[in-house]
Amino acid sequence: MTQHTDRMLPLEGVRVLSQAIVWAGPFGTMILSDLGADVIEVESIQHLNPTRAAVRHLPDLFMQSPTGAGYLNRDNSEGFWNRSATFNYAKRGHRSITLDLLRPEGLELFYSLVREADVFLENNAADVVEDLKIDWPQLSAINPRLIMVRFPGFGISGPYKHFKGYGATMEAIVGHTMLRGYRDSDPSATPPIYHGDPTAGATVAFAIQSALYARERTGEGQLIELSQGEAIVHHLSYALMDAFMNERIHDHWGNRHPWMAPYGLFPCRGDDRWLALAVDSDAAFEALCREMGRPELAAEPRFADVSSRYRNQDILEPLIADWTREHDDRDLMERLQAVGVMATMLAHQPEMFHDPQLQHRGYFIELDHPDTGPRRYPGPLAHFEVSPLTPVRGRAPRLGEHNREVLQGLLGLDDARYQHLVDEQLIGDVYLENAR
Amino acid sequence: MTAPLEGIRVLDLTQGVTGPFATKHFSDYGAEVIKVERPGRGDLSRRLGPFPGDRPSLERSGMFLTLNTGKQSVTLDLKTATGQQILRRLAEDADIVVESFRPGTLERLGLGPDVLREVNPRASLVRISNFGQSGPYRDFDADDMLMYAMGGVLAVTAGEGREPVKIGLYAPLFLAGNVVSAFMMGAFFGARRRGLGERADISIHEVLAGSMDRGGTNLVSYGYSGALYFEPRQPQRSSALPAGVYPCLDGYIHILCQFQWWPRFCKLIERPDLENDDYLSPNLLDINYAPEVDAIFFPWLLQRTKQEAMEAGQAVGLPIAAINTMQDVLNDPQLNAREFFVDVEHPEAGHVRLPGVPLRMSGTPGELRRAPLLGEHTFQVLTERLGYDAEDVARLEQQGVI
Repeated sequence: MTQHTDRMLPLEGVRVLSQAIVWAGPFGTMILSDLGADVIEVESIQHLNPTRAAVRHLPDLFMQSPTGAGYLNRDNSEGFWNRSATFNYAKRGHRSITLDLLRPEGLELFYSLVREADVFLENNAADVVEDLKIDWPQLSAINPRLIMVRFPGFGISGPYKHFKGYGATMEAIVGHTMLRGYRDSDPSATPPIYHGDPTAGATVAFAIQSALYARERTGEGQLIELSQGEAIVHHLSYALMDAFMNERIHDHWGNRHPWMAPYGLFPCRGDDRWLALAVDSDAAFEALCREMGRPELAAEPRFADVSSRYRNQDILEPLIADWTREHDDRDLMERLQAVGVMATMLAHQPEMFHDPQLQHRGYFIELDHPDTGPRRYPGPLAHFEVSPLTPVRGRAPRLGEHNREVLQGLLGLDDARYQHLVDEQLIGDVYLENAR
Repeated sequence: MTAPLEGIRVLDLTQGVTGPFATKHFSDYGAEVIKVERPGRGDLSRRLGPFPGDRPSLERSGMFLTLNTGKQSVTLDLKTATGQQILRRLAEDADIVVESFRPGTLERLGLGPDVLREVNPRASLVRISNFGQSGPYRDFDADDMLMYAMGGVLAVTAGEGREPVKIGLYAPLFLAGNVVSAFMMGAFFGARRRGLGERADISIHEVLAGSMDRGGTNLVSYGYSGALYFEPRQPQRSSALPAGVYPCLDGYIHILCQFQWWPRFCKLIERPDLENDDYLSPNLLDINYAPEVDAIFFPWLLQRTKQEAMEAGQAVGLPIAAINTMQDVLNDPQLNAREFFVDVEHPEAGHVRLPGVPLRMSGTPGELRRAPLLGEHTFQVLTERLGYDAEDVARLEQQGVI
């Protein structure tokens, strides 16, 4: 573990035990780790964290599908669990230990770790911690100062408590799916982008710090519960408030806006090149028309004010598209921004590594890893000047990489006991694919 | 029991969605949040709506009412020297000053980082902007869809043969607000340790680019394999296993059936014989067999409502979800069993139903209190906090400073 003796990160000294799985949990622990917390990922060689492997056996056909790109060079051979893009991104700076919590000896070791921890965070399915005997009544008895965070999809109470769900499941139930998609289509056009995962993760990163602050005053830990679904509902406040206040039910609006017009994506020169445009005032519309070389449009009664433009969007949009189609996306962004029109290009991710803004700000960081070599990752999501968050604590851990460091260093197990744990496969660093 | 953030003082100079959503977390969990607004106009979100009966009013905007719960509103004309002087005095005992002006504006308003250092060295300054406080895009103006376009994820949303399509209105800015609230706490902790306020520069662009909505994964995967994890115009389905949106009796459901869950699916549609079917079982990862799987699934779906299909799927451990409208959400059995929605009384907007605090803290719970009227706390803050007397306040009001 890299020691930063020359600097002190905000959460240095805070020890977090994590079973942050899939997408939402890892986003939360990434923020905590970037802020300096010592996050120990409690894994298992019998069950992989899905963030390490989306599918347990990674068949060849899966590796050829687009999501196979999430593993280094689409390689599903031995050790693939250490070559997951998502895991190695979000779990940077974490430590990894393995424990078989289904056996009493593994469970006892986990309890010992809980005594040494400030936080235990998990987003397993709602009944997992009860089944494993690591739920709040048990853990708070062991360590009353523990802050435990649970955030299964729908919370730990209510009729959907045991519902199985991923991002897509949650977003459908809380109404987001219905709000997305093309105006002329059913919601099946909904793309595989799951907004709820980072929402829940970031909310939890806030919650943990709030509870740490409260603990300074109360001396006590507490149980924090988050329903990922509830966290997303806030983000849909506009549609929610309209449903409550006016009984108006929104469905998919495509790229249209409730009051701005023209508004949307307009095609530019080249393949899949688009200008995102948001005209929020008469002045901006006049400026747009001048740039288009058609200043007279702004004076036409059908486009002269926002309500006329809104009513006549179907006529206006093709006129703008005829112009944008002849130009480069980046040129239009720069020209229109210069005259006070909100416009950006549509960024394509492969090109973002060369984006002048992200480069200027040193957004991408490089981390070396024994299983992947040096790779680039988005850096911390905030720039701190007094306690800089870069370089981050370190690369992501290999499975069980810190077993010895944690179990012997922190819990003081002797060599014989450690070897026994290895022999019994209570710990290890190789995934036992067909263990159970 | 007290709220967790009691004792923290936030001077909130943000408006719109991202900043106010971040500071809402602070006020809902007990911090004192003093929100500085422009006299007569107030926060931009006071004009965003929706409004009851579609009648615009600065005091009845749905977005403002939910984003600013529990905050104190102080009106100040920051273009005047007196307004700036009052602002600096408010900063004197703040733990965190948070702002979302265009880069460079705070300096012009007389509370730039160096001034704040002098006025209150322990206060952290958290600056939120579209693209950050530096760089070639620094001054670019943008809204939620434009930020989402620059964040890289919008490109991935394109359907076959079509343009990309945005997510829920303002949702990207809410997400940025969540991330900001986490780093605001981090700045606060760091500042206390060092005895010196943090200076944080948060770019919504960077937050969205690295988001776990798959944006960050896409970027990293490109570096790992030369391809994106989710490609634009990628079919939502890559195998014969049921995945994506399906119609049912009264709407739509979403299902995601992973390879190892095929037996559960067979159980769901009451076809245990298919579990080891010689024809389908070996070919489940082959997209060419999808129509045959769907042909078995459709008749089952068309006999069930979205709620029934969801409950039946969940009963066998298959993630099936009803695709709900906002009306369904307001009536949702789960949200209501957990008493998620909270009704508050507001002097101008009346009875308002708001989404409740999402974090349930056993020891130090949060609390939702109504949003302030424009300038509601100006008198109180100026007299009680800053020691002005009633005459001073009247004079400031006459001068249009407050």
